[in-house]
Amino acid sequence: MIDPSQDSGVPGGKEILAFADAAIGPDRPALDRARADLAGALGPKAVSAASAVAATFTKNDRLANGTGIPSELPMLKNSKDIRAELGINDFRTAVYSRTHYPDEM
Amino acid sequence: MTLYADSEYPVRAEIDRAHAAQLDHLADPGTWGGAAQRLAVAREVREACYEAGVQEKHDGAGPESDVELPGAAREMIRHLAVSPRDFDQQSYESARSGGLSDEEYVEIVGIVSRLTCMDVFARGIGVPLRPLPAARDGRASGGRPGVARKELAWVPTVPNLPEGGEEAKAIFGEGYRPYILRSLSLVPDEFRQSVELEEAQYLPMKNIMVKDYQHHEGFSRSQVELIAGRVSAINECFY
Repeated sequence: MIDPSQDSGVPGGKEILAFADAAIGPDRPALDRARADLAGALGPKAVSAASAVAATFTKNDRLANGTGIPSELPMLKNSKDIRAELGINDFRTAVYSRTHYPDEM
Repeated sequence: MTLYADSEYPVRAEIDRAHAAQLDHLADPGTWGGAAQRLAVAREVREACYEAGVQEKHDGAGPESDVELPGAAREMIRHLAVSPRDFDQQSYESARSGGLSDEEYVEIVGIVSRLTCMDVFARGIGVPLRPLPAARDGRASGGRPGVARKELAWVPTVPNLPEGGEEAKAIFGEGYRPYILRSLSLVPDEFRQSVELEEAQYLPMKNIMVKDYQHHEGFSRSQVELIAGRVSAINECFY
């Protein structure tokens, strides 16, 4: 998810990640190619499913970053190692969780 | 006739219904903004996205608006619509000092988030943006949950039960609601509409902890989480 060149191990993972990048990016021809590749790999229903999920997190990222919510404490406690490994603590928006739960960062 | 009848890719009926209803509802007065103002917010979102190259302009996007939004509103709408990764507390404070109330701010965040969501979906399946409706008459309803208070977000939120009491129960139901769902609770109508999209497009909240729950035919939970995680990584959403 952080480095799309890595194999996710998920069926159609390469096509899904390319579609995610293109769906919210400015390169329309790349999106058209990624859509066709995704449909070819996983079928036409996967295109609307992937679009729906990408769209949902487009919304949620704006809700989270627009209202300054911290992560839930149990989620922070359970993700300490993986956040550090993936560099997620370096995201600008980590500050809203760090402010309230500094010991969990 | 369905909203996405021109799609080459099959669209779940509940997504089609939710998007049709939510786009149409933008024509109604909201809680704090009038219909013309809400549609002006929507048009500002689209203009910002056209300029950033993340949406394509086309004829038939709906009627023009003659409503001029305050500068502080335009600035935060454009910023949040196209660059959520560097939207920060200063962005929020600028909007507030520019004259937006917390209630107005939350309603705008809701509209920006929901419209970008529906527009990303349309572009994802390869259809033009759906037209915005014309404003209908009426007045904003007003009304703020009395129990809303400053918790850990910038904006006031309705606390979970038991602190939130009957108002929280009426808005959220019985269960615990994480901040991502409660972020818009200062404006309950925005909360409800956001959850409606969440449940149609991602999965019903009651199934969120069911690891192998599959909401989309032919698209597994691991495939769903892969795309969810990638989009959030690009937007640098820590949550």
